[in-house]
Amino acid sequence: MIDTEDAVATAELTPLRRLWEFIVRYQAVVVPLVALGLAFSIGALLIQLQGVNPSFAYQSLFRSALMTSDGLQRTLEKATPLILTGLAVSIALRVGLFNIGAQGQLIFGALGAAWVGYQWASLPAIFLIPAALAAGTLFGAMWASISGLLKAYRGVHEVISTIMLNSIAVGIIDWLVSYPLKEEGQILQRTPEIAEQAKLPMFSFVPAGFIVSVALALALAWLLNRTTLGFRFNTVGKNKHAARYAGIKLPGAIVGAMLFSGGLAGLGGAIETLGVVHRYENGFNAGLGFDGITIALLARGNPIATIPAALLVGVLRAGAASLQFDTGIQPEVVDLLLAITLLLVSIPLLAGVLFRDRAAKSEALTSGWGS
Amino acid sequence: MRYLSEHRKGLSMLAIVTIGFYAFYFISPIKASSMLESSWRFAIPLVLAAMVGVIGERSGVVNIGIEGQMLTSAFAGFFGAAFTGSLVIGVIAGVLTGILMGAFLAWTTVKWQLDQIIAGVVLNIVAAGVTSFYYKQGNTLPALMPKFKVPILSDIPLIGPVFFNRGIFALAALVLVFVVQYMLFSTRWGLRTRAIGEYPNAADTAGVDVIKMRLINVTLAGGLAGMAGAYLSMEAAGTFERGFTAGRGFLALAILIFGAWYPNRVMAAALFFGFASATAAQLQIDKVVEIPQQFINMLPFVMTLIVLSVAAGRVRPPAAAGTPFVKGSA
Amino acid sequence: MIAKRLLALAAVSALALTACSSETAAPTDADCAKAEVLCVGLVTDLGKVDDKSFNQSAWEGAQAAAEEAGGISKYVETTDTKDYAANIKQFTDKSYDVIVTVGFLMAEATVEAAKAYPDTKFIGVDQFQAETVDNLTGLIFPEDQAGYAAGYLAGLMTTTNKLGQVLGLQIPPVEKFAKGFEAGALAANPAVTVATVYHPAADNAFTDPEWGAAQAATQLAQGIDVIFGAGGKTGNGALGEIAKAEGAGTSVFCIGVDTDQWGTVPEAQPCLITSAMKLITAGTKDLILAAKDGSIAGGNFVGKTGLADYHDFASVISEDIQSKVAEIVAGLADGSIATGVVLG
Repeated sequence: MIDTEDAVATAELTPLRRLWEFIVRYQAVVVPLVALGLAFSIGALLIQLQGVNPSFAYQSLFRSALMTSDGLQRTLEKATPLILTGLAVSIALRVGLFNIGAQGQLIFGALGAAWVGYQWASLPAIFLIPAALAAGTLFGAMWASISGLLKAYRGVHEVISTIMLNSIAVGIIDWLVSYPLKEEGQILQRTPEIAEQAKLPMFSFVPAGFIVSVALALALAWLLNRTTLGFRFNTVGKNKHAARYAGIKLPGAIVGAMLFSGGLAGLGGAIETLGVVHRYENGFNAGLGFDGITIALLARGNPIATIPAALLVGVLRAGAASLQFDTGIQPEVVDLLLAITLLLVSIPLLAGVLFRDRAAKSEALTSGWGS
Repeated sequence: MRYLSEHRKGLSMLAIVTIGFYAFYFISPIKASSMLESSWRFAIPLVLAAMVGVIGERSGVVNIGIEGQMLTSAFAGFFGAAFTGSLVIGVIAGVLTGILMGAFLAWTTVKWQLDQIIAGVVLNIVAAGVTSFYYKQGNTLPALMPKFKVPILSDIPLIGPVFFNRGIFALAALVLVFVVQYMLFSTRWGLRTRAIGEYPNAADTAGVDVIKMRLINVTLAGGLAGMAGAYLSMEAAGTFERGFTAGRGFLALAILIFGAWYPNRVMAAALFFGFASATAAQLQIDKVVEIPQQFINMLPFVMTLIVLSVAAGRVRPPAAAGTPFVKGSA
Repeated sequence: MIAKRLLALAAVSALALTACSSETAAPTDADCAKAEVLCVGLVTDLGKVDDKSFNQSAWEGAQAAAEEAGGISKYVETTDTKDYAANIKQFTDKSYDVIVTVGFLMAEATVEAAKAYPDTKFIGVDQFQAETVDNLTGLIFPEDQAGYAAGYLAGLMTTTNKLGQVLGLQIPPVEKFAKGFEAGALAANPAVTVATVYHPAADNAFTDPEWGAAQAATQLAQGIDVIFGAGGKTGNGALGEIAKAEGAGTSVFCIGVDTDQWGTVPEAQPCLITSAMKLITAGTKDLILAAKDGSIAGGNFVGKTGLADYHDFASVISEDIQSKVAEIVAGLADGSIATGVVLG
């Protein structure tokens, strides 16, 4: 006769129940996966409406993005700057700042790396690559620091300053590559090509930049969760009054977070220059900073989660051309897929439907405009 | 009298700008009126779009999906009119689409507590994708949108023809600035709206249905975005192209903050930005200075940053903007 | 209860999986490896094949050539400048015979692809070839000449001696049109002034019709009476605005760019006296057909530029002006007139 409570519990832990407990415990992973599945199902419907067999379309998409070393390389190349801009936006969000300026910071970083890459062409790779990456990081950080300083000392809202600074950055750089930094004897607006030894190496199909950005995502996760600096950032982001009470200097935290954020975006641009574009040319960094916002949101501000989020976007973008080549579907469809995924991953409704009262409470990700 | 003393600063600034512009008009009437015309033309969609944000954020809901709301409305207005051959249907389709987009934002964020920024981003991506997907070239509007001449007012030199001889959306923008300003600060609706944006819990205790009110406000504000979009495609440019709002919805976010969440200041900020853009164009037309166009074209952005950092920087958004309201969670 | 919930979860996953599992046959892609079938592939620059601009023109040329040769044509639209090489590879993988790449940004990617696939013919629209690759032909256009002819016409048409240009991004092809226009206008009428306004540098510089329209309105208000709209849809916005203006077609006129915009921008017809054309469609088609019969040569091929038909304005523009402009067009073509435009 089994009549102790313990025993009852054991008896009821059927394999089914155990599986369920497992799923509930890991719902932070399960929910996004279910959301992804749902999003692709909705996408399948959309594709069907275009008169194309969805399974064929998805095969074409994934085959070209994942099943060839060429495709894998492009997927990783696309994911690399997105991880970094995603991190840039995430770290600002931690402090309650909404950095819309990752784009401007990124192109400054890309330009800075290109400039070092061709100007100091006599340096060996071991000095030149770090110098170029450092220059990119510095350029991005400097550009972001304008917003940080304006916010900290003049109270200028970062949303407005970063929007303005994006446009100003595009203008300044357009002028730079049209006149002083322009490749000689060339009518196109672009800098000379960087030195051969400045180009980032590949490890089989894995670009070196991808490894760097993954490492940075891990490092940032550690920084935010395990160090006092991270604690300060989080405190400022959660409650400014408490932070002030705890002796944290708000201006310092704001400028510091923007420097970090801009540096990451700038490094993203630098890696793009050294790894893929090999010079600065107008039009070759379009949209990367803005995609960072999408990545950060998809990853819910979690540095480690930016990696799968960026990979997802990388896969979709890398496969879009094959999708069009094989089926004639316009490449915009992948952006729709992405938007639906973002919606379903983020909406608390889905976890609620799946887990009812056992759904994990999601923490607020953005606080709107902060203050 | 009290009104005058309360708004001393704003009114004196308005007076100085007006006198300055009329002095300019006295010296060079053609240039002054064409630059004012260009400034207001630039400002109209920004004013409408920024007021979407004013109402939303005053009610506690941040809206960064204005660009997407405008784009879909511009699309619906233009193709609605082109396919049915009726401008009226186009106008209705444009505004209704804006309201529909507002409803999407309202329901996902207020009802289902989706993060407000995410809802806006989703809206923008979907809008860009869908309008590109279904775009068809070779359509034109069945007719030009009519212009209306406001009696008496349109006869005022300089400002008359610029502000009071325009199409319905432009006139509506002008009127709505003052209507929304009045409603927000002098009516019961306004008091409640500001309450649910600042202290939703207190408002709830006082018997305001926070959820319902946010749903209605955000949905109807979408109609303003619809007007902004339809203005662009039907009244202003008279065409629709992919990505055709060209970032005006994001610029409106900046204008919204520049205007410190007040409709009348938003209008001033939009006019300032429009005037800086008009100046940039004028400098290129007149070729008075030999500097690369890249620097001239940066003028509006740089001027805005300077003004903000010197004078008008420190502003405070509605306290609850960005946070979903859950009844009973203090 | 739990079983039900698990079932729901499984159902959702299954739904997603079924969407990806059922096997289907590959599409009926024509067999391009066979010599007798002409396969033409086209990679657009950022943008789409119905952009009313160079992508569309090139695509129409590719379609026309494929149709005439009884072959097939296909395109891939580029969404990211870093995909150029990969998008070209879509076609080389399937052994397409001729691959057209559109836009100067793709020049480098095209050269690399041409070197890697020596048996495939490449045509690079707007791509100047500094050194010759045997299987790559750059289709380039003297945009300055088309601009010059348009400017010459504008200089003769103006009564206020004020001309304007509403332009997209300051990139080489646009700048060549613009400088040519100014040079032509001054050659026809040394008293004219030309107002030149570029869109602020941004990703949307070519897709901002309202900006173009507002610029046109400003210029008209200041007495400018002939405006050259050159900058994709931004320029088209200017044309549309002028067409709505008072005196459109009688005292104020507009000039389009790239293709005959009488057809592509119908709302501009009230003011559109002509367009400064670069005949991308014809050039692309001719080169593809030359590639088919083997007469194509590597290096650069200079495509035709010129003025579009006057359409309804043939009766408005005086015969005197028409004959003068015709002289200029002829002079530009035979090289007796130089535009003097150099991009630094």
